[in-house]
Amino acid sequence: MKKAFVLVSALLLTLSAIAAQGTTLKLLFYSPELSDQYNDMAREYKAETGNTLDITVLQADYVTVLRARLNSGDIPDVFMSSAYADNQTYKDYVLDLTGQDFIKQMEPTALMGVTVKGRVTGYPFLVQSHSFIYNKKVFADAGITVLPRTLKEYEAVCEKLQARGIQPFATGFKEWWVLPQTAWQALAPIKDRFGGDYQNFVDRLNSGKLTFKSLPEMKNVFDLLDLIKKYGGPKPMESDFTDQCAMLATGQAAMIHQGNWAEDTIRKINPDVDLGYLLGPVGDSASKAGIMFDSNQTIRVAKDGKHVKAALAWLHWLTFSDYGKKWVPGMIKQLSPIKGAEAPQAQLAQATVKLLAEKTPNYSWFYQRFPTGTEQALGLILQGYCAGITDRQQTLDKLDAEYAKIAAGTK
Amino acid sequence: MKAKEDRRHRSPRVRRALEFLGFTMPAFLAVLAFVELPFLMSFGYSFTNWNGLDKVPQFVGLANYKALLLSDPDFLAAFGFTLLFTVIMVAATNAVALFLAVVLDGDVRGKNALRAAFFVPNIISLIVIGYVWRFIFSKGFDSLYAATHLAVFRLSWLGDPRLSFASVVFVSVWQAIGFYMVVYIAGLQTVPRDLMEAAVIDGAGRGARFFRITLPMILPSITICLFYSISNSLKTFDVIFSLTFGGPGSSTSSIALDIYKTAFGENRFGYGAAKSVALFVLILVVTVAQLSILKRREVEA
Repeated sequence: MKKAFVLVSALLLTLSAIAAQGTTLKLLFYSPELSDQYNDMAREYKAETGNTLDITVLQADYVTVLRARLNSGDIPDVFMSSAYADNQTYKDYVLDLTGQDFIKQMEPTALMGVTVKGRVTGYPFLVQSHSFIYNKKVFADAGITVLPRTLKEYEAVCEKLQARGIQPFATGFKEWWVLPQTAWQALAPIKDRFGGDYQNFVDRLNSGKLTFKSLPEMKNVFDLLDLIKKYGGPKPMESDFTDQCAMLATGQAAMIHQGNWAEDTIRKINPDVDLGYLLGPVGDSASKAGIMFDSNQTIRVAKDGKHVKAALAWLHWLTFSDYGKKWVPGMIKQLSPIKGAEAPQAQLAQATVKLLAEKTPNYSWFYQRFPTGTEQALGLILQGYCAGITDRQQTLDKLDAEYAKIAAGTK
Repeated sequence: MKAKEDRRHRSPRVRRALEFLGFTMPAFLAVLAFVELPFLMSFGYSFTNWNGLDKVPQFVGLANYKALLLSDPDFLAAFGFTLLFTVIMVAATNAVALFLAVVLDGDVRGKNALRAAFFVPNIISLIVIGYVWRFIFSKGFDSLYAATHLAVFRLSWLGDPRLSFASVVFVSVWQAIGFYMVVYIAGLQTVPRDLMEAAVIDGAGRGARFFRITLPMILPSITICLFYSISNSLKTFDVIFSLTFGGPGSSTSSIALDIYKTAFGENRFGYGAAKSVALFVLILVVTVAQLSILKRREVEA
């Protein structure tokens, strides 16, 4: 007993002595499903450079904790956030990364979301896509050979599936974040009306010159939500992310609206499931149906952190070292924004690459340009619509009122 | 040297004061640091349009309070929800808890096991309870429907805005009764036996004994239980947070959850602070009124 105690204390002492040699970076990350990958990367970094990464991983209360730490002065050296509107949210705290050698290694499309007036405010971490995901075997068994692109074609597919006793959609409507992702995809082609420039569109919304009510395209959004609800099983408002993944993996449901990040969860339930992307319908216009594709997960360096240089050195390593280059595609199994990175061994990520190569319409995550805080508020309003609490007119009124309130607060 | 002398010759009054301060100060300082100061700070923030992050909050005077009272249908809806929730919660928890207390205070077989069973939900984290019931309402009810084909299990208890209110109330009552039951049992045990015996000899029936003797004698317990259940219901947050997140839409959004969503979801920290001051005033007024009314009616044994 005593011997064991001495041994353990000796071990701890050596460990802390080793830790004391290099610098220790404090990182605050989200996505706990990636904990193993984070830890593996930290172990490798320690082995190669002798520096320690102290990674805290949170999920539901991530933003709350991050804010508390930034406000209290207990600033993490590195933290994560979304791109676009979050550039503005954390403007007082992030280091300008413009001109860093690792930034020059990034695909220009991945830098779009973190660039403000020509300055690069963050390090794009993952490139992700979302649209409708379908279970190929379920489709084949139902004799569906032509994939749907318009709302009418989706409805025909749903009828076919339902006739065979399969629930067409698992909705995910209980999650406030699934609703806006699903809804805004049907609005994505709106950029064509604004010279292909989403910022132009969002600026007009922010200034109140444009309202959701004035957009005829909102009909496509409501029609899509109605369709999903109609074919979303007996309890469409109680389906959450886990339910979506489980139903699709087991073939109880044929389609879900999700992103490539869901593949890991789906495969944990059924490792052999055959998955593919469907193009999200935009009313009856088959040529506009596409997928949503962007680099929204962003790593930020805190400019007031204690180890700014060490943080930059870590990002350099993450971009240039052999391990770093393989980390995102090889271990996280998602698309890396680094130029010339290998394709990940994941079906949905590969499907994304293929769709992009085929010049399928793809849209950036323009709704991330809406002021920070609109995502949840608008998501809950859309949830109210789906639950039948508000009709279309009332929903549009609420969307406009809420958007105006939050936009006024962020000016 | 002099100081030592002084200590020895302190008057009893000073010593008592020091003793009093020695016992109360640690708790007082903790409450001051973790409750009072943050409260005063949020009172200050309620006059700004701070987003929770900007280093320099902008002063906006009474604009937040004006918006709150005049142009915020969501807050009014949350206010209405919370009041209705509180009325039903207070009536249901106290009635059920008192009933259970009376039953379990008598000679029932296995009463200790039953008391423990009713109390257990009270020591589980509210967030966990929300998630457990969320699972029961969705997946659990699905399985029950598959087994029994009873229509009640086919209803969307969390997804239908007409039913979600009932679900939230049910889980909250289920969670809360244990605590109030224990307080009522303690109260019942202070009712003097001789009073009861005298009443029996005088020919008072069960009902008369309960309403004429038991109820007046346990009025102090009732005061406490009403106070706690009113203020807890007005502040309700955790169960709703994990059970429905105020949804669908914002049909089950309580004031506290609405404050959370405003401050942390929408980044309107200053406005959220104004809402929390409003909630504070509401709770203060209601509970002070309740206490002063009930205290007057308490009787000594």
